[in-house]
Amino acid sequence: MQPVYLVQGKRTPQAKAGTILKDIAAPYLGHYLIRDILDETSIGNEQVDEVIIGNTGNPPKYPNVGRVIALEAGLDKTTSGYTVHRNCASGLEAMSQGFVKIASGRSDVIFAGGVESMSQMPLLFNEDMTEFFMELMKAKSPADKMKVLTTFRLPHLSPVIAIEQGLTDPFCGLNMGMTAEKLAREFGFTREMQDEFANKSHHKAVNAQKEGKFDDEIAAIIAGKSLSEIIKDDNGPRPSSSVEKLAKLKPFFEKNTGTVTVGNSCPITDGGSMWLMCSEKAVKDYNLEPMARMIDFHFHGLEPERMGLGPALAIDGVLKRVNLKLEDMELIEINEAFAAQVMACEEVMKNQKLADKWNISAVGEVNRDILNVNGGAIALGHPVGSTGSRLVVTLAHELKRRKAKYGLASLCIGGGQGGACVIENLMK
Amino acid sequence: MSYEKITLELKDGIYYLGFGKDEPKSLTVIAKETLEDMDKALDKVEGDKNAKGLVLFSHKAGCFLAGMDISVISELESEVEAAQGCEKGQEVFNKLEDLKIPTMALVDGPCLGGGLEMALACKKIICSDNKKTALGLPEVMLGVLPGFGGTYRLPKKIGLTSSLDLLLSGKQVKAKKAKRLGLVEYVMPAERLLEKAPEYLMKKSSDNKSLQDSLTEKASENFLARGVIFRKARQSVLKMTKGFYPAPLKILDHLESSFGKRRSSYLASEANAFGELSQTSQSKALQHVFFLQDEAKKLDNKESIKSVKRGAVLGGGTMGGGIAWLMANSNQSPILKDLNVEGLRVGLKQSSDVFSKGVKRKKVSQEEFERKQRSIKPTLNYNGFQKADLVVEAVVERMDIKKSVFKELETKVSKNCLITTNTSSLSVNEMAKALETSERFAGLHFFNPVNKMPLVEIIRHDNVSEETINRLYKWVLDVKKTPVVVNDCPGFLVNRILAPFLNEAAYLLDEGVSVEAIDKAVLNFGMPMGACRLMDEIGIDVCAHVGEVMEEGLGARAKANKLSQKALEKDLLGKKNGKGFYLYDEKGKHTEVNPEILKLLPSKEKSMDETTIQMRVILPMINEAANILQENIVSDAATVDLGLIFGIGFPPFRGGLLRYADNEGLERIVGAITKFADEVDKDRYELSSYLEDLVDQKKKFYTE
Repeated sequence: MQPVYLVQGKRTPQAKAGTILKDIAAPYLGHYLIRDILDETSIGNEQVDEVIIGNTGNPPKYPNVGRVIALEAGLDKTTSGYTVHRNCASGLEAMSQGFVKIASGRSDVIFAGGVESMSQMPLLFNEDMTEFFMELMKAKSPADKMKVLTTFRLPHLSPVIAIEQGLTDPFCGLNMGMTAEKLAREFGFTREMQDEFANKSHHKAVNAQKEGKFDDEIAAIIAGKSLSEIIKDDNGPRPSSSVEKLAKLKPFFEKNTGTVTVGNSCPITDGGSMWLMCSEKAVKDYNLEPMARMIDFHFHGLEPERMGLGPALAIDGVLKRVNLKLEDMELIEINEAFAAQVMACEEVMKNQKLADKWNISAVGEVNRDILNVNGGAIALGHPVGSTGSRLVVTLAHELKRRKAKYGLASLCIGGGQGGACVIENLMK
Repeated sequence: MSYEKITLELKDGIYYLGFGKDEPKSLTVIAKETLEDMDKALDKVEGDKNAKGLVLFSHKAGCFLAGMDISVISELESEVEAAQGCEKGQEVFNKLEDLKIPTMALVDGPCLGGGLEMALACKKIICSDNKKTALGLPEVMLGVLPGFGGTYRLPKKIGLTSSLDLLLSGKQVKAKKAKRLGLVEYVMPAERLLEKAPEYLMKKSSDNKSLQDSLTEKASENFLARGVIFRKARQSVLKMTKGFYPAPLKILDHLESSFGKRRSSYLASEANAFGELSQTSQSKALQHVFFLQDEAKKLDNKESIKSVKRGAVLGGGTMGGGIAWLMANSNQSPILKDLNVEGLRVGLKQSSDVFSKGVKRKKVSQEEFERKQRSIKPTLNYNGFQKADLVVEAVVERMDIKKSVFKELETKVSKNCLITTNTSSLSVNEMAKALETSERFAGLHFFNPVNKMPLVEIIRHDNVSEETINRLYKWVLDVKKTPVVVNDCPGFLVNRILAPFLNEAAYLLDEGVSVEAIDKAVLNFGMPMGACRLMDEIGIDVCAHVGEVMEEGLGARAKANKLSQKALEKDLLGKKNGKGFYLYDEKGKHTEVNPEILKLLPSKEKSMDETTIQMRVILPMINEAANILQENIVSDAATVDLGLIFGIGFPPFRGGLLRYADNEGLERIVGAITKFADEVDKDRYELSSYLEDLVDQKKKFYTE
C-alpha cells in the first residue's frame, strides 16, 4: 500500500437548519472549499483525478452532487465526480474510497468530503397523491380527467417529510432518538448524566470559538438572500448553556419516561467539509506540505436498534488494523449524535464483558480530556453527509496545534454501523 | 451561371441559395453584389417551372447575415441616391416575396437589418436555438430605418405593437422570443436546419396565435386604437431621445401614414424616409461612432494573445466590487482581497446588486447569479494570487500605500501575471517605479459604476511592454468593454477633458449663472446629465481633488475653482450625502437646487444665453483635447471621441467632441476661444498651439 496524505482539510461554518445557511444548495456547501484548498497549492484545475462527496439527503436537482461540485469548483470537465451514501458516515466513506484509490496507486489527487443541506431536504407527496398524479396523466379525454379529479381528497396533501423518514430505521422501525433512549435504558444513564455531557460540549465549543481554534479549519462562505454576507462561525454553540437550562427540556422521543432531549442530542444542521488527499508522488510533484497521513479506516455493522454503539466496534477494528493501542491516540473524536450513545461506547470500550457481546476487544478507557476537545455535534451540529470528514478536519487541525502524533475519529451510523479512522499528524 | 457572393444549387427540385461561402470575416454582410446575384438567381428560380421551393441559408455556421455593409450606407451622397438604393433592394425582395413556390430562410446566428428584411420576404423562417442567433432591425441605431421593406413586412408578420418595439429600439431578439413573437415559425438545433428544410418547407404552417395576440392585432386595425398606440410611442420616443434623434420619429410618421396602404406606395414612402434620414447629420455622426467602435474592437493576432483565466482584485468597496462583478460575469472566478471583512462585504454587495438587477430584468437566471456571484472568492489573504493572470488594484488613492501594495503583491503572483492599477489621479509612471518587473504593469482605469460604463482606459508608462498592452486590450474586449490606450498624464484622457468642463461650470456659477441655466444648457447640447448634476454624481470632494491634481499637473490653464472648496467646507459632498448642488431623497433622486449652495453664490443672478453657456463649457474641452493630441497622450482624434462618448456619454449624435469641432469649423472654434481668453480668462482659455496649427494649415482634427 502507498501512503495516503491528507494535504489540507477545510469545512464550512455549520449552522442549525433553517438559519443562515438555509438558502445554500448542497453543491455550494462544497465547491468553494475545493477552490480555497487548491488556491493554497500549485495544483491546477486540470490535475485533480476525482471528487468523491458524501451526501444523504440527495437534492432532487442534483442527483450526483459530487460531479456538480467538481464542475462548480471550476475543475476541468475531465475530472470525474461521484456521490456516496453511508448515512451518517458518508463523508468518512468518501475519504475511505479516496484512501483505497490512492493507497492502491490508482489515483494521485482526490478531493473527498461531504455536504448536507438539511434545510433543503424536501417534502414529498405521499403515495396517494403520487397515484393521483399518475392517473391524471394517464387520463386522455376531458371526461376521464374530470373522473380522476373527483377522486382527490384533502389528506392527499399531507406531505412525507424526507428528513423524518431518513432518520427512522427501516429495519427496526425505531427513530434514531429511540435507539439512544434504548442505550440510555440499557446502560442506566440518567437524564443528568446526559445533560452534563451535552453542557460540556457547548462550553468546549464556545471556548474553542473564543480562542480562534476554528479559524484555520473554517473557510468563510458567502450567504444570505443577496449573496453578500460572509459567514465564518458555527451558530450552534451556546455560551449560556447550563445543566439547569438543559434540564428544563422535555424528552423528545419518549415523551413520558424518556431521557433524550433535543438538548442532549445533536441539532439538524447544514454544512460541508472537504479534504485534499494525495499520493506520495503528488506531494513531491506539487511540492506539498501535507497536514497528516491517513493510516487506515474501518467500518463495522451491528444490530440497527443499537446503532449508537457503532464507534466501539469500529474503533476496535481500526486499532487492530493499524496495530496501535487506544493509549497511542493523543486526540479522539467520537461524533456526538446523542450524549447517551457516546457514553455507551465508552462503557463498552472499557469493559471486556460488555465487549464480548459483540465479539470485540475492550480497547480501554477513553480519556475525557482528549475526547472532542473543541466540542462535538451536540454543540456544533451534525450535517449528516459531512460529519464523517468534518471530524477528521477538526481532528487534524487540533493535532497540528498540539504537535501531537496520532488521532482517532469515529462515528455511529444510522442503520447499525460504526466507522473509524486513524491519522498521523505531519505538522510538527 | 456563376455568382460572386452567393451559391445556388438545385436538389430534389428545391433551390438552395447560400450566403457566406468562404467568407473570411467573422460576420457575413450584404454587399451590393449580393443583391445583384440574388436578383439573377431569383430570375432563374422563377423561370424554372419544375421548382418546388427555395431555401435561403448560410454556409457560415453561426452567422446568417449581419445586415447591409455599413460602408455602402455611409457612401450615399444624396437623398435621391439613397432612396434609389433602397428601391433596388426592395425590388429584389419583392421578387422573392412574389415567388409562387414555398420559400423559407434558415437562420443560424445573427440575422439583422437587411438580413432580416430578406428573411421576412420568405414565407417562413426557421431559426436555430444557437445562443448567437439574434434577429432584429438595428437601423435606427445608425439614425436610419430599414429600407428594404422591413417596415412593411415586419408589422404584417408580428403586428404593429411588437414591430414598433423592435423598429424604434433596434433591439435584437433571441430564438425563443422570436418564436413567441411569431417572427419565426420554428426553432431547432442548427445542425438540423438543412436536413429538415425540405420537410418544413412543405409543411402547412398552423396559425396558432394566442388570444391576446389576436386581440392586439384586432385593436391595431381599429384606427382609434392605432392612434393611441402611435401617440404613446411618440411620447416615449421623445422621452428617450429628448428630440435629438430624428430617426425614431420618422419611423413613426412613416408607419402611421403608410398603414394599410398598398405595397408599392408603402415601400416608396419607406425609401423616401430612408433617403432623408441617411443624409442627416445625426445619421452621419452615428455611422461615424459605429466605425469608431468597430475599429476599437480590432486587435491584431487576437487569437495568439494569452487570455485571462483568473482575475483578482485588491481592495473591496464599490469599485473593487464592480470590477469583481465584471470578472465574475466573464467567468474569470475572481479573488477579491481586502484588509477587512467590511470591505469584502461592500464589494460583494456591489456585485450582487448588479446581478440582482439582471435577474429582475431576466437578463440573468437565478442559477447564473448564484454560480457567478459564488465564483467570487472574498479573502483577507493572498492565497490563490499565484494562479491569477490579472490583478487590478483598487485600494485607497495614496501613492505610498499603492507602492507598498505593489511591492508585496509582486512576491505573491506569478511572473506572467499582469499587474494593474485603477488609479484615477495618481501617476502611473511613478507607481511603476515600485515594481521590480514593471513591464507587466499598467493603469486600467474603470469608470463608476463599472457595470454601466462601457469605457476602460489602458494607461501606459515608460517601461510597459507591448505584450502587456495587448493582453490588457484583449481582456477589456473579452469583458465586453471598449478600450482606449492612453499615455500617462494627469487625468488620463477622459478626466483630463472632463475636468475643464466641470471647472468652467463652477466658474460660471461663481459669475452668477444659475444652476438650472447651466444644467439646462448642457442637457440641450445633448449631454446625458447637467454639469452640476454630474459634479454631484461624481462627488464634489472628488471633483475638488481632481481639480487640484489638474492644476498641479497642467498649471494656470487648469486653475481650480474655489466654489467646490467652499462647498466642501459646508459638507456638501453631492449625491453621496444627499446634498450638493441639488438635494437628494433617500432613493438618490434629486429633488431641488440646494438652498445651501445658493448662499455660496452671488446674490445677483447673471443671465447668459444658452449657446454662450454651452460654448463656455465645451470649448475648454476641445482646447484640452488639442493639447492631448499635441502631447501624444492618445494616438488620434478618433480615440478622443471614442473615449468621451463611452466615458462620459458625449452625445453620439454629434459624433464625438472633435468630430463636432470639425463640423462646426475649427476657425470658428479658435475665434470663440480667443474671444473668451480676452473676455473671461486668458489662462483658462489659452489657445492650444495644436489647434492654432490646424487652422493655419487648413486641417481638421480628422484627416479624411
